[in-house]
Amino acid sequence: MRKIWFVIMLASLVLICITDPENSVNALMKAGESAVILSIKLMGIYAIWLGILGIVDETKLSDKMASLLSPVIDFLFGREIDPVTKNYLAMNLSTNILGMGNACTPMGIKAMQGLDKLNPSTTASTAMIMLLVINATSIQILPTTIIGLRVAYGSTTSSDIIIPSIIATTITTVLGVILVKLFAKVKFKDKNNSKNKQITLNIPSKQKTSPHLFSKLFKRTNKTQTLNNSPISTTEILTNKSNLTVTSTKKFKNKRLFSYIKILFIKNRNSNQKFKMVTTSIKNKGGQNNVH
Amino acid sequence: MSISAFVIPVLLILLLLYAWRKKVNAYGAFANGAKGAFDLCLEIFPFLVTIFVVVELFSTSGLADYLANFLAPALNFVGIPTELTQLILIRPFSGSASLTLVEEIFTKYGADSYISRCASVIMGSSETVFYVSTVYFSQTKTKRLAYAIPVALLCTFVGAIFSCLICRII
Repeated sequence: MRKIWFVIMLASLVLICITDPENSVNALMKAGESAVILSIKLMGIYAIWLGILGIVDETKLSDKMASLLSPVIDFLFGREIDPVTKNYLAMNLSTNILGMGNACTPMGIKAMQGLDKLNPSTTASTAMIMLLVINATSIQILPTTIIGLRVAYGSTTSSDIIIPSIIATTITTVLGVILVKLFAKVKFKDKNNSKNKQITLNIPSKQKTSPHLFSKLFKRTNKTQTLNNSPISTTEILTNKSNLTVTSTKKFKNKRLFSYIKILFIKNRNSNQKFKMVTTSIKNKGGQNNVH
Repeated sequence: MSISAFVIPVLLILLLLYAWRKKVNAYGAFANGAKGAFDLCLEIFPFLVTIFVVVELFSTSGLADYLANFLAPALNFVGIPTELTQLILIRPFSGSASLTLVEEIFTKYGADSYISRCASVIMGSSETVFYVSTVYFSQTKTKRLAYAIPVALLCTFVGAIFSCLICRII
């Protein structure tokens, strides 16, 4: 965005110096003026939609929509999304589909803020890019503005563009979703090959694993993470009855992590157990869970 | 037109009735929600200006025309009529500017012509990519958008190709 803006700005200014220098300041001021007019207009539009959103929120209708759209949201944006953001995402998607272009913007901005909070880096996360691409390709059922315009210009078959529009917009949205998913996968794979490792501790099935113990382990391993100068918690521990799987999504010395966990485990259980250590590179697990 | 006009008011009626059944103070909820609009607009205003300046300069400098002329043969090759090149160039930047272009196309070629139908479908199936990305990301700490814009632009472009194709078939 920065680059595109800079290049077009520079090129336009150079060109305007050659062709029409008197008009340059004029054009700049005109731009400012129309931005003010638009933002005042938008303020009104946003106020109305945010007001309606207020009612939707208050009636808990947004929760219902979020749970209704939950599979879609999980698929598109990943599972690790807090309920509030999920609500905004649901509202953004549904207003998008209904073609209320101006309504989805405020909700989209709020959803984006929510996703931003989950994203530790200053590079847009996959979920954020997904949200942008979906909005930029506008899944829209009724292009009302353009139909109105056609009527105003004397079209006799003003609504015959609806079906082509739906087809075209479906193609672009699906393409966008696929591309984002692909990009996320490629990015994730790159990280995988160099860094990601997964350790599985096989605990003898006699020993029942207590959730309490694992929560303790989890906290401790997080501590080792911070010792390793990574501020982001990247270790994930999954358990079932006989397995403890530790997933580290960043460069991490397996042996060290393993021995640490082992020590902790033995300390807590006061017993001498034999562990089997299995180290595997993580195969892509559905992508979005582990992507940063 | 007739059905689409009903969508929003009917939805709102349902919403109000639902609020009434749930014994929610709709008045207070509406006012509370609307409160956020002012701050939101203040916050996105600088980004609006940024995008407007570049759009304005892009078209007044004639750069858009040059680029359109330059790209027309290539776009023609993938089935996009020459008359629509400028629309495709402006569309990612500004909704109002591209609407003006569409109006020009309507008056020039008639609203029911092939060109106008293509323009309509392109408008109906695309969004202002740069505007949306500026506004959406304006409230975040994100500095790099990674592959967001290329993907969005590519999709818009593919959408335009398909729009023209579909219009030719239907």
